[in-house]
Amino acid sequence: MNENARPEPAESATADDSGEELDLGRAAAIMQDARKRALRELRARYPVVFATWGLVLMIGYGTMWLSVLGQHPYTGPAPWSLVVLTLLLAAGAVTTVIIVGRALTGIGGASAAQRRVHYLALIVGVAGIYGLEGALAHAGASDSLLGVYGATAPMLITGAVYAASPALWQDWSTRALGAWLVVVAASSAYAGPVGVWAVAGLLAGLGFIAVALVRRGRDRV
Amino acid sequence: MSDNGLDPVIHAPARLRIMVTLSTLAVGEDLSFTRLQDVIGLTPGNLITHLRKLEDAGYVTTLRSGRGVTARTGVSLTSAGRGALERYSTALRQLLDGVDPAGSAGTSRQEGR
Repeated sequence: MNENARPEPAESATADDSGEELDLGRAAAIMQDARKRALRELRARYPVVFATWGLVLMIGYGTMWLSVLGQHPYTGPAPWSLVVLTLLLAAGAVTTVIIVGRALTGIGGASAAQRRVHYLALIVGVAGIYGLEGALAHAGASDSLLGVYGATAPMLITGAVYAASPALWQDWSTRALGAWLVVVAASSAYAGPVGVWAVAGLLAGLGFIAVALVRRGRDRV
Repeated sequence: MSDNGLDPVIHAPARLRIMVTLSTLAVGEDLSFTRLQDVIGLTPGNLITHLRKLEDAGYVTTLRSGRGVTARTGVSLTSAGRGALERYSTALRQLLDGVDPAGSAGTSRQEGR
């Protein structure tokens, strides 16, 4: 069924077509109400999305850190911690799709197309990162190298996409988050295969939470 | 323009809702007919009638794309429409503040009473 096609006129508008009957106070109230309703319906609740990803990173990376803590020599995260991280990442992705998809349904145009490209770039980039990790393991990369790579590379690509996305150029907080993720990914790698999970998870998670708070405050204005 | 300085094309509840709703979109974005109908809460017939009036005034533009199941009608505010809504909003604020927006700028209506 085509839900977006323009139907034929079924009736004429008469009830609210007489501008003379609209008094000034009611007009002001209509403007305020229509704006509030449009923002509620058409604006995605990005603070919830960013807060969700902040928690996903802190809990997921924290779990990975606990599973490798005290390993001498480093042998890699336990399977159960990988399952926890995967489930958390999936929960974050589903939350994002539901919140953003629901709000932006029916919105089209150039910026909407840019947003789709942004999300596609993220998916393709992160998929490529994990594909490369498999190739590195196949080529004989050490467990330590794979540990550092697995913790930081997805963050690096996510940060780069956020910082460079045309769809987000007008939003300084999201671009700042992108730059922050790149810095965190690059610098936390120096903490080694064990410490990287704690440092990257905590700093990146706090970055997401900070942006969630900034955008929540801005949406309230 | 009406006596009170408010644009009569916009100064109707349904059209005011349509204009304000579309103004919350970013420049370059449009809203599908069905989503606009959901947000505004008008019947398809009413919405079409009001959109035609706004389109005739050059305030909104509708663009049909796709065919069959992919058919879509996008509705967006033109730059003239954004300007008209801005002027309407300013005039309404002035009237509510007791200032006559239609010429006697700065003269309070209450002063003449």
